[in-house]
Amino acid sequence: MELFERNACDLSEMIKNKEISSAELTKSVFDRIKAVEGKVDAYLTLDEENAMKKAAEIDEKLAKGEELSPLAGIPVGIKDNISTKGLRTTCASKMLGNYVPPFNATVMNKLDDIVVTGKLNMDEFAMGSSTENSHFKPTKNPFDTERIPGGSSGGSAAAVAAREAIVTLGSDTGGSIRQPASYCGVVGLKPTYGSVSRYGLVAFASSLDQIGPLGMCVKDVAMVQSAIVGHDKYDATSSYREYPDFAADLKADVKGLRIGIPKEYFGEGIDPFVKQSVMNAVKELEKQGATVKEISLPSTDYALSSYYIISSAEASSNLARFDGVRYGFRAEEYDGLVDMYERTRSEGFGDEVKRRIMLGTFVLSSGFYDAYYKKAKLVQKRIMQEFASQFADVDVIATPTVPSTAFKIGENTDDPLKMYANDVCTVTVNIAGLPAISIPCAYDDKGLPVGMQLIGGKFTEQRLLNTAYAYEQLVGGFKMPEL
Amino acid sequence: MNIDIKHIAKLARLRIEDDQLDKFESEMQNIVGMVEKLPDIQDEMTLDPDNPMILRKDVAVQDKFTRQELMQNAPQVKAGCLVVPKTVE
Repeated sequence: MELFERNACDLSEMIKNKEISSAELTKSVFDRIKAVEGKVDAYLTLDEENAMKKAAEIDEKLAKGEELSPLAGIPVGIKDNISTKGLRTTCASKMLGNYVPPFNATVMNKLDDIVVTGKLNMDEFAMGSSTENSHFKPTKNPFDTERIPGGSSGGSAAAVAAREAIVTLGSDTGGSIRQPASYCGVVGLKPTYGSVSRYGLVAFASSLDQIGPLGMCVKDVAMVQSAIVGHDKYDATSSYREYPDFAADLKADVKGLRIGIPKEYFGEGIDPFVKQSVMNAVKELEKQGATVKEISLPSTDYALSSYYIISSAEASSNLARFDGVRYGFRAEEYDGLVDMYERTRSEGFGDEVKRRIMLGTFVLSSGFYDAYYKKAKLVQKRIMQEFASQFADVDVIATPTVPSTAFKIGENTDDPLKMYANDVCTVTVNIAGLPAISIPCAYDDKGLPVGMQLIGGKFTEQRLLNTAYAYEQLVGGFKMPEL
Repeated sequence: MNIDIKHIAKLARLRIEDDQLDKFESEMQNIVGMVEKLPDIQDEMTLDPDNPMILRKDVAVQDKFTRQELMQNAPQVKAGCLVVPKTVE
């Protein structure tokens, strides 16, 4: 078995016991990148020189007997909307094509002894469900390179599946970690809103955005989550609380666990094979001692509309900062200040970003605010209440992550609504601020992965991880694609 | 409902080319059609009790970055200042 094929939890032990060096592991990952990146296109920026330097530093510290974190020396890929000091951070946009952050996101400071492999492709400003909205290039699904990897963290999911990074960071505003994790057959966790600092994450919709980990196994995801979680004074929405060590406390035990199956997530529009696969996985957990109950979340049908109003409204405000003055792209020719703003923004943003800014501007504009934004916020409140009342009776809610398996590149690009429908099972979680994890639960007749989403009450990540871990132990781990 | 794409574009400081107007309008119509299905809920908006959002003191942060670091990404700089088109006559 090559080093790049191994999980972070094993590699962490091997590095600690000096069976391998971080330099050897980092070289193995970069050799892998050289071999398969041409087929996958997961990265926007590779940083081999600094990665090798960092790996050597970690090895030196370990040789001196210094105490380091469990992820020390592990090669990690970072989504390109997370600020990395001195390393280009583009958000896959022409607007930030040459932007080099002068500071680190809080999560990067927390992960200060990892080895950063590079920056991963995404939909521009995290707006999209297929990574086709990247200004630079589309990323391909490692299970079938003619298909999309999902989005917006498509590079983060594809890199893990193709073993071009041991684990990665993504961000999730409406499903952007879980949905690509499902399409690429990896594990992805969207943490509770407020548990991971957003400082240094380039904002899309601030009340919904959350950074989270992707990995090949549940324990790897738990390890990264333990490292990034916690209060941050630089993020006013960050919660004050103590968190468990998710990886150390991982237990494959579902005895007495109450699983809810919301009928609204198994209706029309969800592929029958996907439905069946999720139900089969739930049955496996039932055999291990979990109890299963059908539940109802009646406002689910309104979640997608409410999500597009709230997220676009916030995006239109957040993206107002890109004006060609302080950083980023500026149009070459213009006549006066307003013309400079308009040309800079029209040339610098792609179509989907413009569409969302336009929608957001519209719903917040005079005369329409009550009809759209306020209505959407009230629906959001109701969705939160419905989840809260269900979590009095069940511990975990199981649903499909995405309605179908990965579609072909170019298949949905002409129809925004069809593209938005990809997020129907995931947006409710962001709307309600809940944690959720996606794990592979089947492979269709083309060999494409199907994901199961497990949703929990606020700050119940440990229970979600334990449930996912129990399923992973039952099936003996998840498949890697052949590339 | 008619959506005045040019007006919204002006508010958003975006320029939509004439040949793109129809496409934008029909896409926006579809999206607005989707969001118009939202129910009327008689309720009040409230803040999330789990996220009280305690704001930090409004004090200027000093010495965290140098002027040069902060200006390294600016498209046009002259004598340590950001260059913008003339705004007053």
